[in-house]
This record gives sequence, C-alpha cells and structure tokens, in this order.
Amino acid sequence: MKKGLILLALVILITGSLLGCQPEAPLEQTSNPPSSPSKLDSINTAGKIMVGTSADYPPYESVDESGKYIGFDIELMAAIAEGMGVKLEWVDMPFDSLIAAVQENKIDLSISCFNYSEERDQQVDFSEAYYTSKDAFLVAKGFSGTIAKPEDVVTLKVGVQSGTVQDDWLTSNLIDTGLLKEENLSRYERVDQAALDLQAGRVDVLMLDEVPAKNLVSQYEGFNIVLSAELSTGPLNIVLPDGDVALKAEIDKQIKALQDSGKIEELAQKYFSE
Amino acid sequence: MDVANFIKYILQGTVYTLGVTAVALPSGLILGTLFALLAVYGGKTLKQVMSLYSTVMRGIPPIVLLLILYFVMSGEINLSPFWAGSISLGIISSAYQMEIVRGAILSVSAGQMMAARAIGLTRMQAIINIILPQTLRNAIAPWSNEAAIIIKDSSLVYALGVPEILRRAQLIGASSGSYLPAYLTAALIYFALVFASSRLLGLLEKKLEIPANP
Repeated sequence: MKKGLILLALVILITGSLLGCQPEAPLEQTSNPPSSPSKLDSINTAGKIMVGTSADYPPYESVDESGKYIGFDIELMAAIAEGMGVKLEWVDMPFDSLIAAVQENKIDLSISCFNYSEERDQQVDFSEAYYTSKDAFLVAKGFSGTIAKPEDVVTLKVGVQSGTVQDDWLTSNLIDTGLLKEENLSRYERVDQAALDLQAGRVDVLMLDEVPAKNLVSQYEGFNIVLSAELSTGPLNIVLPDGDVALKAEIDKQIKALQDSGKIEELAQKYFSE
Repeated sequence: MDVANFIKYILQGTVYTLGVTAVALPSGLILGTLFALLAVYGGKTLKQVMSLYSTVMRGIPPIVLLLILYFVMSGEINLSPFWAGSISLGIISSAYQMEIVRGAILSVSAGQMMAARAIGLTRMQAIINIILPQTLRNAIAPWSNEAAIIIKDSSLVYALGVPEILRRAQLIGASSGSYLPAYLTAALIYFALVFASSRLLGLLEKKLEIPANP
C-alpha cells in the first residue's frame, strides 16, 4: 500500500504542476536563466531553425494541397532564415500548443500571427513588431469634408468590406453606440465593389486595411487616404524563448533589415491586397 | 480546389494514424497482459499496486497524459511528438487491456489450474501453457473494442502537431474554406479503418475458436 501511496502522490504532484504552469510562469520553470547559452548558438551549429506555426490561418499561414506552407508569415520567416544563413524547418501545431512548445524548447521560435499580450509576455519573449496593419480612411476626388479623427465619419456615408475587422470596429464603436446610423453604413462583399461605389459617389469614405487602400490609391485617380490609424488591428510579433537576449537581437536585426529593404511591404501587398 | 488532391492530402495522414495504433495497441497488450497476470497471481501488495495503476490510468484523459509526457516531462526525456503520443496512448490502453485480460483469466475455470498442477506442471508452466492460450482467445472480442478506441484516439496526437488525419482535415479545411467536406472525409477514413480492423479481428476470433469450449 505504501508504494501505492507514493504513486498517488506522484500523480497528484505532476497534475498539480501542470495546472500551476498555465496562468503564471512558475518560479522553478524560468526556462532560460541568463547564464544559459543562447538558442542562437544551437541554431547556428545545427545550421537550421525550427519554427512553429499553426498553418490554418490564411493569408498569414496555411498549406496548399501538396502540403507546402504558404502565406505572409511563411515567406517572411523564410526571408529571416535566409538572412541568418540557416535552413528553415516548419513545425505545424495547433495554435494553443505553440507557446508551450517555445517554452519547452520543442521549437526555436514561433510565428503565427501573434499579437503581443502581457500574459503571454510573462511566459515567452516577443520580437519587435514585424508588421503593423493600420486602418485607412479613403476618399475620392472632390471630397470636401475633413476627417481628423475616426469619429468624424459619423456625418458621412461610410463603406466597408463585410466581415472584416474594420466592419467589426465600425459596428461596435460607431453603430452600436448610436453615433453612426445603420443606413449610412454600406457593407460590401468585395473591396473592388466598394471602390467603384466610392468613385461613383454613393459612399463618401471607405474604411479598410492600409495595404489594400494604398493599392486603390494607385489604381484610381484622385483617391486619397485622409487618415491612417491603428483601430481594429495591431502589431504582429514573433514569439521567442523567455530571456534569450541574443536570439531576440538577431531576429530583431533581420526584421529591421527586411523592413528597410521594403520586403515586408512587398509581402503585405502580395497577401493582403485583393 | 481539386477534389482528388483534397482527399489525397487528408488520406496521407492515415500513415500516422496506423503508426500510432501499431505502437500503442501491441505495447498496451504486452503491458496489459503482464499487469493482468500480476493482478491475478501476484501477492497482496502487487495486486493493490496494479489496481491503483488501473484506476489512475483509466481516470486520466489520454490528451492530459500526452501533454504531460510531451511538454512537462520534456526536460528529462526528449520525445518526438509521434513517440510521446504513441507511448501515452499505449500506457492508458495498457490499463484497459489489463482489465480485459484480467476478466478473461478469471473466466477460465479454476479447475484448469488445479488439473495442470495435478499432472505436474509448475505454476508458471500452467499459466503459460494452459491459462494464457485460453485467456487470449476469450479476450479477442472485447479487445477489438479497444482496437477501435485506439484508432480513434490516435487523432489526439494532432495536439502535438503530428500531421495525422484530423490535423490534415483542419489544415486543408482552413486553406480551402470547405470545412464540412474535410471533416466528412476524415470521418469516413476513421470509419473505414475501424470497420476493417473489427472485421479482421472477427475472422481471427472465428479461426481460433475452440469447438469444445464455446
């Protein structure tokens, strides 16, 4: 019976530590104390970097029928690995498992459309933002009003692509609060339909992601972005092992280089504009 | 999206499903049989330990043990997702299979053991030559149930990123937007595997049946 009790105690202990580790980083589990060698060394030694992603979120990350990884994050990470001079190995995992996998050194880092959050920051580190999508307010030639802040659109006829984060933002911040009348908001299935109506003057202003907005500016004469702001969107970061300063510095350096070379902008055009 | 490629992509996951089953089911059987023998013929302490093992392992959801083995105990042992998944399912299955075999041992009449000892066999010889062959025959029917459960539970290794049938259905569903066809395809594949395995075990049971001992 004694053995049985020991076994039972062991099971309780394991289960307890499992429960304990989710909400806050437990003391004994600081996965990378400052003295421990950086992941960067082992990555360089192995000549490859293992990156986790949850490949079920197009256009950021997904697979095609041949099982090939495609998407904005995928190509961006490929460029980062190329910059580091190492091979890239993808590990697909459900989104929920990714943070734990980074913490437990199952993968070197993870890129999967992560936004920075304080709770996550206690368990892992974040790179600098590699992409910040902004919302743009787009008007056509002959627009005479002023839009200095988002709330200024409430007197206008507004267009948006239905089901987008911008649609959500307008609905919960302007419609639900009664600032903007429901009949003054037109929801379009596609961005190009919205652009045609903007040109024809059926709506005064379109709210959409800044990348496709810039695309429209180059396509339609007289289109103009009058306001860009982070309203419905936010910065995206790469998830890194906790406290690994050297790896963070290297990844940040690569992100900076890709921003400066215009590569990230180019990928955004490719994946986020229709 | 091309329908043939769509199905083919999900179908490729069958290799992992069968792989996990091929590790978990036999290892569960070997451990389960061993534990069952200890539970029936072992001493008082062994019996209690085995009973505790069975109770605890049957009380833990497979996914919890799988996550413990892969994420929590990763400092001591570095297992690949495939092995962590297969071993956890094997451990849990060993508890169920232990109960199956234990029941089958107890269903062999006590007179068999007495008769075996009477003709001069040792206890060990009697267990191996007389009790076990009858036991394992009796265990096939309930065991085919366990085989079906393992085939279906093997889908849990998706949580660790093993690209088996379910995970592939999720991925291709996301990239094509057709979730329903993807999950239906996965369901059909699982059904076909379970159906085939229970048919095969049914045939085996028929073949091994002892006519005089129905």
